[in-house]
Amino acid sequence: MRERQHQSLSSELLAGLPRVDVDDLIASVKYEVDDDFAHLWIKDPGVCVGCQAKPCLDFCPVGVYRLDRSGKVMIGYQACVECGSCRVGCPFLNIGWALPRGGYGVAYKFG
Amino acid sequence: MAARLAFDAIVVGGGPAGVAAAITMARGGLEVVLIERGRFAGAKNLFGGVLYTRALAEVLPDYWERRPPLERPVTEQGYWLLSPDSAVRFQHKSEQYKSEPAEAYTALRARFDAWFAAQASEEGVLVITKTTVNEVRRDDKGRTLGVATDRPEGDVDAPIVVIAEGVNNLLTQRLGLAKGDLPPRYVALSVKEVIGLPADEIESRFGLAGAHEGVAIDVFGDATLGLPGTGFLYTDTKAVSIGVGLLLEEFVYHNLRPYEVLARFKAHPVVGPYLAGGTSLEYGAHLIPEQGYDRMPQLAGDGVLVAGDAACMVDALHREGTNLAMTAGRLAGETALQAHCEQDFSASSLRAYRRLLEDSFVLKDLKQYRRMTDFLDRSPHFMGTYANFINEAAQRYFTAHTMPKREMGREILGLLRERRSFFGVAQDMMRLLRGMRG
Repeated sequence: MRERQHQSLSSELLAGLPRVDVDDLIASVKYEVDDDFAHLWIKDPGVCVGCQAKPCLDFCPVGVYRLDRSGKVMIGYQACVECGSCRVGCPFLNIGWALPRGGYGVAYKFG
Repeated sequence: MAARLAFDAIVVGGGPAGVAAAITMARGGLEVVLIERGRFAGAKNLFGGVLYTRALAEVLPDYWERRPPLERPVTEQGYWLLSPDSAVRFQHKSEQYKSEPAEAYTALRARFDAWFAAQASEEGVLVITKTTVNEVRRDDKGRTLGVATDRPEGDVDAPIVVIAEGVNNLLTQRLGLAKGDLPPRYVALSVKEVIGLPADEIESRFGLAGAHEGVAIDVFGDATLGLPGTGFLYTDTKAVSIGVGLLLEEFVYHNLRPYEVLARFKAHPVVGPYLAGGTSLEYGAHLIPEQGYDRMPQLAGDGVLVAGDAACMVDALHREGTNLAMTAGRLAGETALQAHCEQDFSASSLRAYRRLLEDSFVLKDLKQYRRMTDFLDRSPHFMGTYANFINEAAQRYFTAHTMPKREMGREILGLLRERRSFFGVAQDMMRLLRGMRG
């Protein structure tokens, strides 16, 4: 497949993006957390170590993927809204993704 | 479970496609079970969103008497082209939009889908929630036996399964009907916030006469940092739905945080005043399949039919999805009824479904706009370049300079030339026209 051309974004524009605490944003979202089943997982942690860009830290719309102190990617699956972006957006397709068990996961009030 | 659960048909997923299929089959006399993984139908669902009633009426002719939980009729719609500090707005408002029921309403899916599934229950469909379907079971000849769920002894039997599992079409992929997973360059990630405001406040800000009027605006240009995507601003009864969607690959490539792009859009000087003082009621995110006609999954296999987002039935250009889903669900239901009549559930018999879709607007529209995805794919600068140009041109046009108008006209052309060569503009317009004409 032909490589896609990308438009470049100016550094002022990127620097000017408002900082948002995603945890404040998802405080409004209702979840039924399944403590016994993590429906997201990293297939091979070694691949993440070798991944420079780590776009999952940014593109996940609810900030499920974060770095711990040692720089390891941690998954807070409890905040997942099951959009599927990480499964297909990870450049190495290194994220395991299953549906939460029936009744668990996000439960939108408005949607 | 004492006895195995056996039905004439199984529907996977309680969204518009699945419920439309279930209602159609139940009304045709089949024993139908609909399996939904959420706590209720709609719990996992989110859209912009505007819902179109004609497709709904074809599933449920008396839907209006059943009092669907819709927000506001869309009596005004249009486009905004945003530059970083200005907007050119193009809107259409008409008394013609005020028929009751109207052609289009804003809606919130957790409410609407729950209501729609309740109508299916009334038509005799067994709606099972909180149950995830893990697999479509088939025998060694490939004939469908039913599904396996995550409930203990959770197998359910039926000779035909309508898969309306949504954009994350894992079952469709596992059956080999979709070639691989969603391509990030052809799938949009959309984030949305529902912002609560008093109804009279919404009405005065948007210039609405009352609860019987509402606005749906799609926003291009600066809303998405000039990247391929759209923003939207829709009025609900006591809330404003605001959101922004970009091709997932753009988020990945630029390391963008979707909620920051949304926050920037919300703070835009033209957008901000509409939201001021509102309360954030809910934030959410969803993928939109924009693969287009040429990358759709196969729509039928032995004992299975695929409908809605799972089959990437989205017309992104006109922000239509639920209506394609309902129509496809209904046609899948009709196909299943016919298959039961003939007791033939083979893939070749079920291909009738595709023919029905080809005769309907669903595949006609998807086919017509088959080049739109490629257009944006090949012209990622399009939105930003022209939205900014049109804003600057408007600025010149509406300002009284001490400059002859003929010179102003030349200056406006110069603004365009700075951005794009004559050849580039011609090429963009050609590609856009080809995208629209099909």
